[in-house]
Amino acid sequence: MSIFKFSIKNIIVLLTVLSMTAVACDKHDHSEGEVITTVQVKLTGTGISKTFTWNDADGDGGNAPVIESIELPANTANIVCEITVLDRSVTPENNITTEIVAESNDHLFTYTVDKANLTVAYDDKDGNGKNFGLKTKWTTAAASTGTLNIKLYHEPSNKDNTNAPGGEEDFNIVFPVVVK
Amino acid sequence: MLCIIGLSCMQSTVAQHCHLAMRGKVVERENGEPLPWATVYIREIKQGLTTDEAGRFVINDLCERTAYTLEIRHLQCDHFTQIIQLTENTELTFTLAHQHDLKEVLVREKAIEAEPTQAYAKVKALDLEAGQGLNLGESLRRLPGVSLLNTGATIAKPVIQGLHSNRVALVVNGVVMEGQQWGLEHAPEIDPFAVDQISVVKGAAGVRYGAGALAGAVVMDHAPLRSEAGVGGWVSSQYFSNGRGAVLSARTDWHLPGKKASFRLQGTAKRLGNLKAPDYWLGNTGQQEFNLNAIAVWQKKAWTHEILASTFNQKIAVLRSGHVGSLSDVDLAIASDTPRNNPNYFTYRIDRPYQAVQHNTLKYRAVWRISDVWKLNLQHYVQYNHRQEFDIVRKTSTAAQRPQVTFTLLHNTSDVILEHFPIRHWQGGVGVQLMHAANQVGRGGFIPDYQSFGTSLWWHERWRRHPLPWEFEFGIRADYRQTAAQTSGSLQNLDTAVHFASCSGNVGWIYHVNAQLRFAFNSGLVMRPPHVNELFAKGVDFLLANYRRGQSDMVNEKAWNNNLTMTYQRRNTLLTLSLFRNTIYDFIYLNPTGQKVLTIRGSFPEYAHVQTQRAVLQGFEGQLEFPVLPRLMLETNASILRAFRLTTENPGRPKAHAWLPLMPPDRFQYGLRWQQKAKDATLEMARNSHGLTLRLFASTTLRQSRLPLEGLLKPAPDGFTTLNADATCFLPLGKNQLELGLLLRNIGNVRYREYLNFFRFYADEPGFNLGLRLKVTFNDSH
Repeated sequence: MSIFKFSIKNIIVLLTVLSMTAVACDKHDHSEGEVITTVQVKLTGTGISKTFTWNDADGDGGNAPVIESIELPANTANIVCEITVLDRSVTPENNITTEIVAESNDHLFTYTVDKANLTVAYDDKDGNGKNFGLKTKWTTAAASTGTLNIKLYHEPSNKDNTNAPGGEEDFNIVFPVVVK
Repeated sequence: MLCIIGLSCMQSTVAQHCHLAMRGKVVERENGEPLPWATVYIREIKQGLTTDEAGRFVINDLCERTAYTLEIRHLQCDHFTQIIQLTENTELTFTLAHQHDLKEVLVREKAIEAEPTQAYAKVKALDLEAGQGLNLGESLRRLPGVSLLNTGATIAKPVIQGLHSNRVALVVNGVVMEGQQWGLEHAPEIDPFAVDQISVVKGAAGVRYGAGALAGAVVMDHAPLRSEAGVGGWVSSQYFSNGRGAVLSARTDWHLPGKKASFRLQGTAKRLGNLKAPDYWLGNTGQQEFNLNAIAVWQKKAWTHEILASTFNQKIAVLRSGHVGSLSDVDLAIASDTPRNNPNYFTYRIDRPYQAVQHNTLKYRAVWRISDVWKLNLQHYVQYNHRQEFDIVRKTSTAAQRPQVTFTLLHNTSDVILEHFPIRHWQGGVGVQLMHAANQVGRGGFIPDYQSFGTSLWWHERWRRHPLPWEFEFGIRADYRQTAAQTSGSLQNLDTAVHFASCSGNVGWIYHVNAQLRFAFNSGLVMRPPHVNELFAKGVDFLLANYRRGQSDMVNEKAWNNNLTMTYQRRNTLLTLSLFRNTIYDFIYLNPTGQKVLTIRGSFPEYAHVQTQRAVLQGFEGQLEFPVLPRLMLETNASILRAFRLTTENPGRPKAHAWLPLMPPDRFQYGLRWQQKAKDATLEMARNSHGLTLRLFASTTLRQSRLPLEGLLKPAPDGFTTLNADATCFLPLGKNQLELGLLLRNIGNVRYREYLNFFRFYADEPGFNLGLRLKVTFNDSH
């Protein structure tokens, strides 16, 4: 009987030690998600020098995103647009643009205008000489209102077809646009 | 001369009163040699016989739970007497020694539980062997009423009568698996080679296995350890054409001579590459697995100790084309006939997205046989589950070196169970359970970190007085669970504790009309506290392409499950019919709110976990097997389910109901089995006899036409029929045995999609698969 008790005690000690080791090993969370909360559109040209922001700082759900309306001067060519992509769910905020530029071959920005008198043209190329779209040149015509849909595709299969390039969407946002 | 008797039992086939068979083997203790020409006499039935050259004997038509006095004589041994009681067909080994030893009678037996009064099915040895190399689900889906919820071809979890995950308990060697509880894409962490018996309890099994067994339980057990001195085991290898994979598994068992101690070591390694659908490769569907199991059992006087340690390690690729970023990606994928972004070639490489899962279990169990009537069971087990999910990320980002989601679960359970053998024809037990779970999710998770503490108390009893045709059982259980949830480092702040108290109850009757026909009825109430996932989940679920939100003010789900089963068995003919109705009050389900949640990836429809007043899941299951010709068996089964909830959305029609989503469509399986050697009712034992078995079977799944009106992304896929075949051959190899198996799945290379597969939007199910199996069993003790 005493031998039995001894073995039980051993086993309890063993189990406790194992449990504690397992707890101790996992105090730290090593996972890291890839979150995008914020997209900034920086516009510079004749009569304009401003940054417009699409921001959902608390991530999916929760508070609704804050979306600024892009206001553009009418009948203006050569407005330079540059995109900045941020993760503001962490402090300090994480600038994802650097990674996107480093992997330009695997990324494509697309721009779809609805109703507003605005045209967007690619102004940069990726490492393979294909469309990239971090930088674009915008041209406006008569005063109008509408929307601009900007998408970032990851691992597109066909960059020549900007309507359906394949891959997955990293973001898909819509800005209201006012040309006046 | 005195003899020491070692007695071990092997569980086998279907129980019937007065139709039990006992197979015995008498062996010499020192060298394990069979003892031919020993006489065996049973006093009660005045039947005597002699063991054959292999020391074997068979006695048929024994009554269950009836005491028989067995006398065994051999020239070199004193005659000895042993009283036995059978609950089902049993195989016993009697070990006789030629030593002047202390007269000691040792009875070692496996605790054999009475057959449940719920609808109940056992996976056939043939299905178990054939499905082992593929996955656990492959064997389970052969049973009526059991289907699979898939995430692609590589991740599957069992569905019993329409319910799964935290409503179905998976019990492996007495351990309730905690890793698979909530996530729809979290497959159970079980090595099919480590288990020898799989049975499925369909109906409320909450008293025995807790609130998680609201709809049933899948109960898996390892084979009994070696009872004769020596070393034995097996080596099995399997090869598959689809996925160009191989699985290697081996087991070795020792029993120390002269000691009452046995050991087992078993391991499995598996590797498969991309699977192929009829028209294309399913890009990124490879898998790797490595599992080890070790068991030690030893006896000391009235105590039996068992230590079990196991590790399960798996890396599974997730279909590339099933990875989507936004709702428009889902729309595009649905509109496309062939998978988008699909690496259409073969490779063994596992790319992102993939899951890496580790599940370790350590169990200690002690059984103290206090007296002939009372038995005390003490058990403690620890489960450590570590799940990492690797998503597609930018290669240069820091996330590329890390998983995107990590779940860590540490689960401790202690059981104290006091059981008794019949006292005035009542047999049963009481149990206390304590459990503690610490779950760490961290950033990026769908659910918060949580810690749960639970305690349960249960009691069940069963009455049977032979030869009265009635059997009764009842059980009650009280549970208390406290959960503290907290989000760390996340943006959605939460720090709260919730408490749930619940109770479960169960009554059952069995009426034996005659030796062949019996009726069983079971009525059970199970209360299930809402899971952390249902209370606090928040985020975009890419499997269902929605934004999901938990509700923290939910109450216990209450399920009232009734089922009636008729079983007729006569020799090779088996007919089982089950009717069931599961009414669930405050049923928790996902309901579209009609709102859209705008995220940076576009807007997603919002779904909330809500409780409906009442949901009903009812249906029918049937199984029929009979010999068309003496050696040719017809095998059929049918599973039919209707699942709906009562709605108040239509005030004019108070009884209006809406179908529940993701319910298994009606399914029929039918086929023929030919056996070289005609077998009697102890068919399950055929696995160890030599001969050839051929089997051809088809499975027809109808289109699910009963769908909820809202929230359907794509119409349910069409019905389909697949044709499959198995061949198994046992050959003697001296003292050893060789088993050869051939497996053919989806012979017609049929193009189809399953409604219960989340990836049905993206790709077809795998096509034709040819499997080969080679297993050598050496020095088997049975």
